[in-house]
Amino acid sequence: MRHFIIAGVLVIAASFGIYFGLASVDMLPVQASTQAVGIDWMWDIQLMAMSFLFALIFVPMLYSLIVFRRRKGDTSDGEHFEGNNALEIGWTVIPLFVVVFFAYLGAGNLADTLRADPDAMVVKVTGFQWGWKFAYPEYGFESKELYLPVDQQIWLKMESNDVLHSFWVPEFRPKQDLVPGRVTELRVTPNLVGSYKVRCAELCGTSHAFMESPVIVVEEDDFVKWAIEQQALAAAANTPESQGELLVSTNGCVACHSINGTTGQGPTWLGLFGSDVELTDGSIVVADEAFITESIADPAAKVVKGFAPVMPLYPFTNEEIANIVAYIKTLK
Amino acid sequence: MKKNTVGSGLLLLFVAGAIGYGLGLGFDALINGAPNFSGSTSAAFALLFAVSAFFFGLYGYRGITRGLVWQVVGTLAGGLFISGIRALMGYKFSEIFGSFFFSEPAWVFGALVGVISFLSGVGVMDDWMKWVRGIDTHDHHEDEPGWEKYFSVSLDHKVIGIQYTVTALVLISVGGLFALIFRTELAYSQLQFLTTTFKLFNQNGPQIYNSLMSLHGMIMIVSILLGVSGIINYVVPLLIGAHDMAFPRMNAFAYWIAVPASVLLLMSLVLGGFDTGWTGYPPLSARAPVGVQMFFLGVFTAGWSSILGALNVIATVIRMRAKGMNAMRMPIFVWAAIATSIIALTATQLIGLSFQLVMFQRLFGMGFFDPAKGGNPVLFQHLFWFYSHPAVYVFVLPGLGIISELLPVFARKPLFGYRWIAMSSLGIALVGFVVWAHHMFTSGMNEYLRVPFMYSTMLVAIPTGVKFFSWVATLWKGKIETPTPMLFVLGAIFVFLLGGITGPPNAMVALDLHLHDTYWVVGHFHDTIFGGFVFPFFASIYYWYPKATGRRMNEFWGKVHFWLMTPSFLILTFGMMYIGLLGMRRRIVDYDAALGFDPTHLVMTICAFGIALSVLIFFINFFHSMKNGEKAEGNVWNSRSPEWQVPSPMPAHNYEVPFEVVGEPYDYGLPGSKYVQFITPTKKK
Amino acid sequence: MTHKHDKSSAFSQGVLIFVYLAVLTAVEFFVAVKLNSIQIMLLIALVKAGLVMYYYMHIYKLNTSDEGDEHSYSFKSGTNRIGLWMFLLSDSFVFGGLLVMRFNLLGLTRPHLDQNLGLLVTAVLLISSFFMNRAETSIEHGDRKGFVTNIIITLILGIGFLLGVVAVEWPRAIEEGITASSNTVGAAFFMMTGMHAFHVLTGVIFLLIVLRNGAKGLYDKHSYPVEAAAVYWHFVDLVWIFFYPALYLIGVVAG
Ligand code: HEA
Ligand code: HEA
Ligand code: HEC
Ligand code: CUA
Ligand SMILES: [Cu+2]
Repeated sequence: MRHFIIAGVLVIAASFGIYFGLASVDMLPVQASTQAVGIDWMWDIQLMAMSFLFALIFVPMLYSLIVFRRRKGDTSDGEHFEGNNALEIGWTVIPLFVVVFFAYLGAGNLADTLRADPDAMVVKVTGFQWGWKFAYPEYGFESKELYLPVDQQIWLKMESNDVLHSFWVPEFRPKQDLVPGRVTELRVTPNLVGSYKVRCAELCGTSHAFMESPVIVVEEDDFVKWAIEQQALAAAANTPESQGELLVSTNGCVACHSINGTTGQGPTWLGLFGSDVELTDGSIVVADEAFITESIADPAAKVVKGFAPVMPLYPFTNEEIANIVAYIKTLK
Repeated sequence: MKKNTVGSGLLLLFVAGAIGYGLGLGFDALINGAPNFSGSTSAAFALLFAVSAFFFGLYGYRGITRGLVWQVVGTLAGGLFISGIRALMGYKFSEIFGSFFFSEPAWVFGALVGVISFLSGVGVMDDWMKWVRGIDTHDHHEDEPGWEKYFSVSLDHKVIGIQYTVTALVLISVGGLFALIFRTELAYSQLQFLTTTFKLFNQNGPQIYNSLMSLHGMIMIVSILLGVSGIINYVVPLLIGAHDMAFPRMNAFAYWIAVPASVLLLMSLVLGGFDTGWTGYPPLSARAPVGVQMFFLGVFTAGWSSILGALNVIATVIRMRAKGMNAMRMPIFVWAAIATSIIALTATQLIGLSFQLVMFQRLFGMGFFDPAKGGNPVLFQHLFWFYSHPAVYVFVLPGLGIISELLPVFARKPLFGYRWIAMSSLGIALVGFVVWAHHMFTSGMNEYLRVPFMYSTMLVAIPTGVKFFSWVATLWKGKIETPTPMLFVLGAIFVFLLGGITGPPNAMVALDLHLHDTYWVVGHFHDTIFGGFVFPFFASIYYWYPKATGRRMNEFWGKVHFWLMTPSFLILTFGMMYIGLLGMRRRIVDYDAALGFDPTHLVMTICAFGIALSVLIFFINFFHSMKNGEKAEGNVWNSRSPEWQVPSPMPAHNYEVPFEVVGEPYDYGLPGSKYVQFITPTKKK
Repeated sequence: MTHKHDKSSAFSQGVLIFVYLAVLTAVEFFVAVKLNSIQIMLLIALVKAGLVMYYYMHIYKLNTSDEGDEHSYSFKSGTNRIGLWMFLLSDSFVFGGLLVMRFNLLGLTRPHLDQNLGLLVTAVLLISSFFMNRAETSIEHGDRKGFVTNIIITLILGIGFLLGVVAVEWPRAIEEGITASSNTVGAAFFMMTGMHAFHVLTGVIFLLIVLRNGAKGLYDKHSYPVEAAAVYWHFVDLVWIFFYPALYLIGVVAG
């Protein structure tokens, strides 16, 4: 009996010790959305549960190891004790209630994080290999940065037309995969002004690690100001070259193609137009408009020597391709 | 070549590897105009040649060498066959041969032919072919003496068990080596050596990272499956008093099919790799290079090993128990083996099927998972996890069984609540079948499925908890000894506890939306896998080593192994969990320096090398003790189990005198009680 | 205890089960065409499966305790029987997975196929099971000639089924525009029939081996290999009991 009491006291002491020890470490990123509040609350509960369960098993184990270890010269066996059904039922039924209770909490917690606000602002998110594009249907423009007004629910409608990606801003907490062929949704309500990053959390190929885009949460007024600016920019960008530049940056071509002469995943565009390009079959072609157009419309058709045929196929219209070609021409 | 040694094996490995590499370069030059020094063709040839040459030097042209040579020939022949057909169909030269040498269909067919050739070459199907022709075969065939029997087909479950175990150790080393490579890259932010200009096997740095990371995952998992089979194969027939497994030929087959499977997994790295993670989700896997096909085939083949092995275990336990061994008197490990085998027998088919569907999508354009054709990528995830979740219990159930089996021996006290532990294994296995979608909370599957799967996932905690509580109760008031096997058992409980309690947070859907695909999850599963399998695996090797060899492994170095591995490992996984919570994604070659993870990552990398060093120590101890270990022919651990009541090493046909079960298996501390009684006690040694 | 019927009662039982199965299949077809009730079709499929498993595949034999020691033929056959059934259990997960795939991708639509042709091949497979059963009964009663005749008929029907699917149904489907790469309808159709046909093919090979060895008289005393071949053959039939409605009957036509 003495052993039980000592071990019991130690378990309780250890649970508190571990919990408060861990809780004093910053283990979660800044809390920047109202969804994060509920999720962090659940984390705290889980932390308590983990501390207690750890202590509950580990302390008696350690205690036995120390107190009931075999002394030198002792060759006898331990007590013959085969089990105790009441105990077994106890430690089956009590955890049963505990886990059902946890799951019940979890369901409520989930409902909280999914709660929809009828006034939510829609942002259309497109993920692609390897970048993000955000469209603001209420304002009619696209951006490669995600600007969000603080304290307003954002209803993200997400699409991908190549592979799976996952939208995750750690400071906001929840994440959601993007699945080709369907629209997936996520709701977040940023509540802290600041700049964060959306980080793709589903392996999507070579540059998965670098599939990050800025997320900037600003005051409502600043957001409106920014949006109007962007609208104006989009309207102004009507020369083919500037349209092309916009397309190139919103579609993430720069992830592979540099415009400063360094070789990345793909060849640089600096000085590309008019140069001689050697293909994998050894032939040499001149990078004229036709070649560049074909390279974009059908990347696999002619593969440049020294590069893997990894360039994705983008659903551009002919006009868009023409704009990109016009832009590439300016890079001398 | 008369002198077969490791030395001549290594020599031939380099010579043949160089020849293969040169040959590959030549072909490359022919096909692509110029040789590609970091390309796939040369690497593929080098790999195929080197592996078979190594065994040629080690062992001569028989057994495994013959299998490997046939596999190489078969692969090339199969590939050429398809290439020939394609040529006849009027394909252009550049569509028949390319930067991977063969085209994709040719590689796939070649690989299949290669596997079958291996099996015929090694001779594991000989008896069956005789049966087909109506010829009877002998049930007992004698093995060569010494180490040589391990390199060719043997029908003895003890030999097969050791073959499995050693193969598993080799694969753990390969997978671990991959981990060391990519952990080195992760030690600092920014790309250090796996840069975009780095080129190897037709891949650049980040692609190599992805291939290594994915292969690390799958090779480790395959190695666990083999390790599980190894321990089960060696131990289960001994524990139940059988002279062998129920189907010895199928047993050998199940082992040998894992060898070409491992070769295929390695082939996937050189044939362009694949960047899909071990989960191989389409559409990404439908776009990856040819390597992914080798990966699929490798897993598919290894899957058959698992299925047939499991079938054998169940049949053996049902049919071949010693007299008097009713269900509640079986050693507890046997229950674990049964529970594991139920999962492996049934669920494994689904990973095979899911990979097969992607394979066909790639080969024939069948649109199962292609949204453009009406396919559904999420369907793949359901099929995949329907196996791969239960699979994690395939890893741990035998591990937990080993803990339950060894704990009473070293606590000198009966196993607390035998029945409950036995039933909890079945409980875990069965509940494990209905929790798979907890890996898919963020996947975009039907929303209303998430809550039921949260409930079912939480239920797994209950039978697992029963085991933990019973273990603690077994230790309580025992007389605990701590030789090396017991240290690993205690380490296993501790580490698996950490892994286990980090499971329920993942099951909380909303919280998982944050945790999913972060290093938190990576930490969770390294803890469960190490605690549930790696630690018990080492424990069982230290424990049954004297049974298999008649010698003990060195205690001192065993303890060094433990005390180096455990803290390194704990720091590694605590680091993973910590940065994971803070926002470290999985499967990334590089992380944002602004996150401030650099110091933690550096420490983790150092700890990874610590683990590797400890494993190296283990290996040296393992091989050194075979010849030089302290002699141990009797009941080393003073155990009640039947296999320790006969001399070590175990006699060739196990129990020359059959035994009968006359008591409870774990009645330590009950004077005069006995578990087994040999039926004719007259015969003394 | 393996209860050995005398030969004529085994024969009449075979006929009876065959008639049940035939009638049930006809009813199923009728239900599909007139009512299209999935519940009834599922019920019928389950009843058919039960009949096949019990009477043709002798699932009850799993439960027989064994006379003789560990090395006796009957003990070994008992072990083999357990092994075979476990293999089939494992295999059925593949087919289960394919059904899940089919219903997930196609829902309650089905490929545009000729329902009469489907009924015809189904009938052929069903009849082959009847003769397989007769072959098995014959050899168990030492009737080698009967065995050879019946197994040859089984083989002819089995190959007929195979050709019906691969050489008639496939080209017709392709003509209809259902190809493997066109869309998920084609993909599901070819995957399911292909996987099943692969099993039929292995069954045919298995039967050929058994035929050859049986004709030489190897099974006159110990006929377990024939039983194994038969159980496997009926298993392939069993799978078709579920695949047939899934491909030809359930739902409305699409693509
Ligand atoms: C050996 C392997 C193993 C084991 C045993 C487990 C055990 C468990 N796992 Fe783990 N898991 C993996 C291997 C394993 N897992 C792997 C490999 C992955 C990642 C795959 C990938 O994506 O690559 C993964 C991922 C994973 C996820 C998905 C995470 C994500 O990707 O978002 C989830 C979610 O629910 C989960 C949950 C659990 C749970 C609840 C258990 C439970 O079984 C744990 C039960 C144990 C305890 C709870 C502790 C002891 C119990 C008590 C002391 C009793 C009292 C307890 C309570 C009252 C709670 N695991
Ligand atoms: C059995 C399972 C197992 C084991 C043992 C390990 C062991 C290790 N694992 Fe891994 N791991 C997985 C299963 C496992 N892992 C899985 C399934 C994944 C997921 C993959 C995916 O996301 O798809 C993963 C992913 C994974 C990641 C995440 C990668 C990413 O997401 O980008 C990391 C990162 O640190 C990691 C690290 C390690 C380390 C450092 C070890 C160390 O313990 C390794 C230590 C080294 C050794 C054990 C080898 C020692 C041997 C030698 C040095 C050679 C001596 C040789 C002779 C004498 C012949 N693992
Ligand atoms: C995955 C990385 C990747 C992305 C993203 C990518 N490309 Fe490429 N691109 C390549 C590679 C590799 C090559 C060389 C091999 C080839 O020709 O396919 C290439 C070649 C080209 C060429 C051929 C001419 C040359 O020598 O450079 C053009 C033009 C081109 N890309 C345009 C684009 C445009 C426009 C986009 C964005 C809409 C884009 N690329 C996005 C990888 C990429
Ligand atoms: Cu997109 Cu990872
Ligand atoms: Cu799981």
